[in-house]
Amino acid sequence: MAEGGVPGRERAAELYRTYGPAVYRRCLKLLRDREAARDATQEVFVKLVRDIAKLDDPAIVLPWIYRVATNHCLNVQRDRRRRGEAPLELEVADAGTSAPFPDRHLAGAILSRFDEGTRAVAVGVLVDGMGHEELAGALGISRKTVERRLARFLERARQLVSGDES
Amino acid sequence: MTPRCPSDLALEAFLLQPERSPEAAHVASCASCTTRLARMREEGEEFRREVFPRTVEAVEDAMVKRRLRWPLVLAPAGALAAAAVAVLLLVRTGPPADYEYGVKGSGMALAVFVNGGEGVRALPDGAAVPAAAALRFKVQPADSCWLWIMSVDARGEISRLYPPKGIPPDRRPAGPVPGGAVLDGQPGPERIYAVCAPSQEMAWAEVKASAAAVATGGPERVRAARGLGGSLSGAYQASLLLEKRP
Repeated sequence: MAEGGVPGRERAAELYRTYGPAVYRRCLKLLRDREAARDATQEVFVKLVRDIAKLDDPAIVLPWIYRVATNHCLNVQRDRRRRGEAPLELEVADAGTSAPFPDRHLAGAILSRFDEGTRAVAVGVLVDGMGHEELAGALGISRKTVERRLARFLERARQLVSGDES
Repeated sequence: MTPRCPSDLALEAFLLQPERSPEAAHVASCASCTTRLARMREEGEEFRREVFPRTVEAVEDAMVKRRLRWPLVLAPAGALAAAAVAVLLLVRTGPPADYEYGVKGSGMALAVFVNGGEGVRALPDGAAVPAAAALRFKVQPADSCWLWIMSVDARGEISRLYPPKGIPPDRRPAGPVPGGAVLDGQPGPERIYAVCAPSQEMAWAEVKASAAAVATGGPERVRAARGLGGSLSGAYQASLLLEKRP
């Protein structure tokens, strides 16, 4: 039995060969563990092939992969943390980004407490060092939304760290 | 990395199409970006060497499942309702005495559904089906157990249908089985087996080996072999024969 037929399988393999490295690199960066990154890469791509039209659109494919892989790996990190398996450790962006280091360090410590949309913005700016405009394009949201979510994240994060949690 | 250095996402675009990247000029003269790109290329090679060969089949299987969802989604509501009735009958009353769902007396019933021109229908044992038909499964084990579903065809091919590669068997109760399968388009007999492994530790290689005798016996053996021996002797199991037509 050839499940799915040969053309579909070959197309999936071809897309995986092309875009798999980008997913793997993203997962390595966020998970910092080769075995976990390997598993996550497969899981992310399984999600991606469910919407193959986007994988076939060169104009949107990379930002979409970035978004799906980021959300998936952050969820993996969050679940690990909840199970007590490993602390959330993110490699914050190098100096030269617009955010000061204490803000970026803060992000790595408490990121898992936030919703998916806010986490994506916080990671994009504070971990990846992306500009607000570029991140807005990658996430498919407006620059104002990026700025609003980032401000909300930092404000709430400071409250959490200082124990002023309402 | 300097404030002017491109993001990882921009470098991914550069790696895919360097000639179209607006970052090409910067990258060519930036030592930091050269180092980052070298590392990214190394990780890409690592993916091709270590990750791709181990995971590509699961990705391909996911594509298959994506293709399978549509026939059932698009089926007329009446046909789906009819299928649901068939399913409920199977669960609540077990296979009727005059209807072959599989090997009886071995603690398992198997129902195979196809979405054809007349809607979704449960197939009797020995049913003629289009050679590229899309199938769904439902099982009724006597007890919750570690389920495997596989098929053997006349060419000796043994196909793993559930669970997908890379995923261990789960303890499934009676009911529909997630996913499905699409026949390969080659005419001839193909037998679907649902078996309950005695433990979760039983590997696919061992399950597959139990079907080796059937696989090497040609079309008549496929038609005749209702049960599997080897490590699965005594396990709950059921099978259903399909005759694939062009």
